[in-house]
Amino acid sequence: MTGYIVRRILWIIPVLWAVVTITFFLMHAVPGGPFTQDQPLPEGVLDALNRRYNLDEPLWKQYLLYLWNILHGDLGLSFRGDRDVSELIGQGFFVTAQLGLLAFFFAAIVGMALGVISALNHNGPADYAGVFFATAGGSVPSFVLATFLIIIFAINLRWFDILGWGGPIEWGDTFKASAWDLNKMVLPVISLGVLPAAYIARVTRASMLEVLNQDYVRTARAKGLRERMVVLRHAIKNAMIPVLTLMGPIFATLVTGSFIIENIFAIPGVGRAFVDAVLRRDYAMIMGSTLFFAAVVAVANLIVDLLYAVVDPRIRYGRS
Amino acid sequence: MKRQLGRWRFLLLGALAILAIFALAACKEGYKGLAVSDGDPAPPEEQVLVVQSLEPEFFDPHRSNFEQDIAIERMLFRGLYQLVATEDGGVEAVPSMAEGEPEIDGNVYTVTLRDGLLWSDDVPLIAQHFVDGMLRSCDPEVASPYQYLLGEGYLNIVGCDEYFYAFGTAAAPITPTPEELQALRDAVGVKALDDRTIELTLTQPKITFTTIMSLWATFPARLDIIQQFGERWTDPGNIVGNGPYILTEFVAKDHVTLEPNPNWPLEPTPLLQRLTIRFIDDFAVAFRAYQTGELDISQFPVSEIPTVEGDPTLSAEYLKVGAGRIDAIQMQLEDPTLAIFEVRLALSRAIDRELLNNVVSNDAHIPAVYEVVQGLSGHQGNAPFEDIVGYNPDAAKQALADAGFPNGEGFPTLTLTLREDPEQKALGEFLQKQWKDILNINVELVFVDGRTRAQRFNTEDFQLFRGGWQLDYPDPENVLIGRYDRPGANNKYNCSDDEIDAKLLAAGRETDNDARIQLLQEAETLVVTKLCGVAPLRQLALLYLVKPKVGGVRPNGTIDAAMPGNWCAECWYIEEQ
Amino acid sequence: MKAEPQLGKLVDGEFLERGLWSDAFRRLIRNRLAMAGLVVLVLVAIIATAASFIDPVERYDPYRDQDYGHIQEGPSGSHFFGTDNLGRDNWSRVLEGVGISLQIGIGTQIVVLVIGLTVGATAALGGRLGDNVLMRFTDVAYAFPDLLFIILMRAVLSGRDWPIIGEPKLQIIFAISFVSWTTIARLVRGQMLSLKERDFVLAARAMGATPARIVFQHMLPNSLGPVVVAVIFGIPLAIFAEAALGFIGFGLPPPTASLGRLVSDGYNFIQVNTWVVVFPAAAIALLMLCFTFLGDGLRDALDPRFR
Repeated sequence: MTGYIVRRILWIIPVLWAVVTITFFLMHAVPGGPFTQDQPLPEGVLDALNRRYNLDEPLWKQYLLYLWNILHGDLGLSFRGDRDVSELIGQGFFVTAQLGLLAFFFAAIVGMALGVISALNHNGPADYAGVFFATAGGSVPSFVLATFLIIIFAINLRWFDILGWGGPIEWGDTFKASAWDLNKMVLPVISLGVLPAAYIARVTRASMLEVLNQDYVRTARAKGLRERMVVLRHAIKNAMIPVLTLMGPIFATLVTGSFIIENIFAIPGVGRAFVDAVLRRDYAMIMGSTLFFAAVVAVANLIVDLLYAVVDPRIRYGRS
Repeated sequence: MKRQLGRWRFLLLGALAILAIFALAACKEGYKGLAVSDGDPAPPEEQVLVVQSLEPEFFDPHRSNFEQDIAIERMLFRGLYQLVATEDGGVEAVPSMAEGEPEIDGNVYTVTLRDGLLWSDDVPLIAQHFVDGMLRSCDPEVASPYQYLLGEGYLNIVGCDEYFYAFGTAAAPITPTPEELQALRDAVGVKALDDRTIELTLTQPKITFTTIMSLWATFPARLDIIQQFGERWTDPGNIVGNGPYILTEFVAKDHVTLEPNPNWPLEPTPLLQRLTIRFIDDFAVAFRAYQTGELDISQFPVSEIPTVEGDPTLSAEYLKVGAGRIDAIQMQLEDPTLAIFEVRLALSRAIDRELLNNVVSNDAHIPAVYEVVQGLSGHQGNAPFEDIVGYNPDAAKQALADAGFPNGEGFPTLTLTLREDPEQKALGEFLQKQWKDILNINVELVFVDGRTRAQRFNTEDFQLFRGGWQLDYPDPENVLIGRYDRPGANNKYNCSDDEIDAKLLAAGRETDNDARIQLLQEAETLVVTKLCGVAPLRQLALLYLVKPKVGGVRPNGTIDAAMPGNWCAECWYIEEQ
Repeated sequence: MKAEPQLGKLVDGEFLERGLWSDAFRRLIRNRLAMAGLVVLVLVAIIATAASFIDPVERYDPYRDQDYGHIQEGPSGSHFFGTDNLGRDNWSRVLEGVGISLQIGIGTQIVVLVIGLTVGATAALGGRLGDNVLMRFTDVAYAFPDLLFIILMRAVLSGRDWPIIGEPKLQIIFAISFVSWTTIARLVRGQMLSLKERDFVLAARAMGATPARIVFQHMLPNSLGPVVVAVIFGIPLAIFAEAALGFIGFGLPPPTASLGRLVSDGYNFIQVNTWVVVFPAAAIALLMLCFTFLGDGLRDALDPRFR
């Protein structure tokens, strides 16, 4: 197994290289550059800007230069303000991760609770209510839900703020009390978390139902209270297994940025930064973010694959 | 069954408890969000203002490209002259850091600085700093997008273009030696004769001298600071300015905070204690934040005009300002169909601009068949042009028939290129229907993202193109020169008319202002009546919401576009309620 | 753990896998929610298709009928769902949208199924190196900045009259499937990997069945269960994805009115005229519900452990 893990980690390098290369050439193939505008810049200015940022070099040279820089940990400068890309990504990710983690916990707790309660009240009113909310929550696109929440709770009721992120934006501010404004976090977290919560609730419910139908559970039920408790706890644990394996991809998605929620609440996260970079052809930022995402995704996939192996003993890695 | 529920009730209660704690903590914060610098949030009675702006790239005036950057730079720096609004809605340039009007001797302009000027770090502000600033704008290694304002055809400073093109072009590169580069720099016609006197040598006199000297490309520079901090020189703590405010906090992609500069020498002295500018590109997001009270000044989307006008509070806070921008349908004259004048005439006369403004933009903008906007000298309005190119469906059908396509027979399908944006979509769909209903022709809508659209424009890869022009500075020459003459850097629709060329050339050279304006008006008339690559649609307006507690807002759309009255941000203050 | 399920009768030396499917089918029919979902779906599809051909159903042209006298109205007798910002009838646009969204949703999933099955099966059966390479390829595809690709595709192709790839709906289908095939591939691979070691496959191998027959007659039918379910769930997710793309500005190009487009367009008018968002969003929700019930029913029907 260790051999497998090591090999997988080594495989991440060519994967990242492939992503970087494809992205680099794709990015330059897309029409329009960082300085293309419909009130066009004078030729001389374009030339001067291209010279300044090495964009006048042949493409293969720029590519090799970029690879060389990455190997030295230099992700380059964003065209927007000459800011350090690694700083921008680090800061953006700090914010996105906060949002993603909170949404994840919200989704996990609410989803699992809903699923378990539904399953325990199978075909009863609580079950139907649970299924209804789960499906309703999962049926509305997040930006529609977010906007309705904003209109009702922020604009009309004035319960919550909606502009920006309610947590620390720079790493250094984490322990400053003034950097935390929990009020601002409520709506973005809920908007982001409802869809995965609905999905988790459905899967938890299905999984619980399946487990509850097993012989040993039925026997325990017939036998009496204390055994029921013990067995139910066991049942929940078993029911959680398939749910946990899908937490992986959900976690990865949430943490790599929900651009839509970040846009609606003007949250300076990395998802929004990436989409802006693509729309404005901010090459260094596009490359840096893509590299970053690819790394996160590769690691997340590895973890999920390992979880599969833990969960299903029939799957073997490392055997010929 | 009920007994089991005990455990799971526990789980449910646990989940609810967590949510409750979250909600309680969330509601505990009584004060509604402002950016916090350090220490505690300020109590509302203080002079604190939160304004929405598009996201800027730079705070370096010699590298900026966009309105929102320039708006903030005007708060941090100031030039020798500055633009102010006049009583009649016009604009004029008045001395700012300069003591008075320039002394003109042929091609040599001499400007004297006020006495006792200081930078925000108490270093004296001397003439050399202005020279350094202008040299930076001409410096090829700085790559200023607005270098052309100092060069041939505009400010006409001797040697600026030669210096800027020291490295040649991409097609024909040159590698100058350091000595050659220095020599070119020294040959640029800006000199500091002493600490208070700046001498500029132009290639020919320029009437709009003081107007262009108000622009950001001429702002002073502190080379020592720039050298010391490199690209980080605009960070709070490093940055030094001579404007009414200094930059005290910056969070990338989020906001910037400004505080008054104690060394600001002019009136008015800023009354605000803190000015926070939040970067929000999506006007719908900004609009909602304005409604929750998190923004004091904000723009809002055209689609929400009915909401604003229908709400008693919001409608009282609604401020509409005519901007220095014309929206038009640009037509590629190299296309064989569009090369026919009658075709263009038909297209233009088939557009009901009033109805368009009403349906597509909720009457936000000003229907226009002119190019030189309201507020500029020489503005002619719709009157001279309405009967020639304005809405007249019968005349439109006749023109199309005259062109050889009676009732649209045989007319090819043209494409109209637009950007993906709610108002643009409605505009495109409206025009598509108008042209179909009146002329019976098919127009296909092509929607692309901003950069792709710009690329298509630059490479002349379009037939019909919804485009326009945003003023660089408030003078009619900026609207026409370079756009309808040959070779015009922006003349991507290939308008080629000898008469227009002649008029614009003469206007660029004319020294008498009234004669110059006359020539420009004649040029505009030719451009519009010949539909030389353009059929104007409307003059855009900027829509703002301003909280009643905000005072000193003096909007003038021809010189500011990022925030209402940002050309006098020092005028803003909070009124006593 | 339960005993291995019986897989039907041994007839002429071949295992009859058909028993699995007919059993499942019968169970599906008995599931009332799933059937309700299916019925509603079929009904909606019929109305949407009818709308394209029968005028009284559609009542207005979803694109051309712009009535500037009736802008942003709520539901009324003449406009069941109200009108939008150009005076177009929302009822006809929602119907049009349902049709287009279903096309996109189903189209996407077909592409996803084909690619996912191919890659997943090849990975599971192709030996360790093949598995590694394909899975790493999946990693690359997953981390791929699809937005860049979509922009490129749209920029290069829009406005050109090229056959097939010029068709915007196909572009969107490819754009969305490009992202989602990886989940199906991994699912198929996971299924096949565990099936590879199962008794009946070992038995078939022992009996001399060719690899092709093993795959197509034994493994594929048994692994299709969760895959089919994932594909069914994927249809409304594809519709969501198109709405999200529309939000950024890269959905179906206007004036095509898919449900996703209607929602992301209507979003700009949400405070002016909420109905413009409510009806298409409700339509999406309805489709989502139907597909969910159908998918749940299918999963229950196909799950061998429920016998």
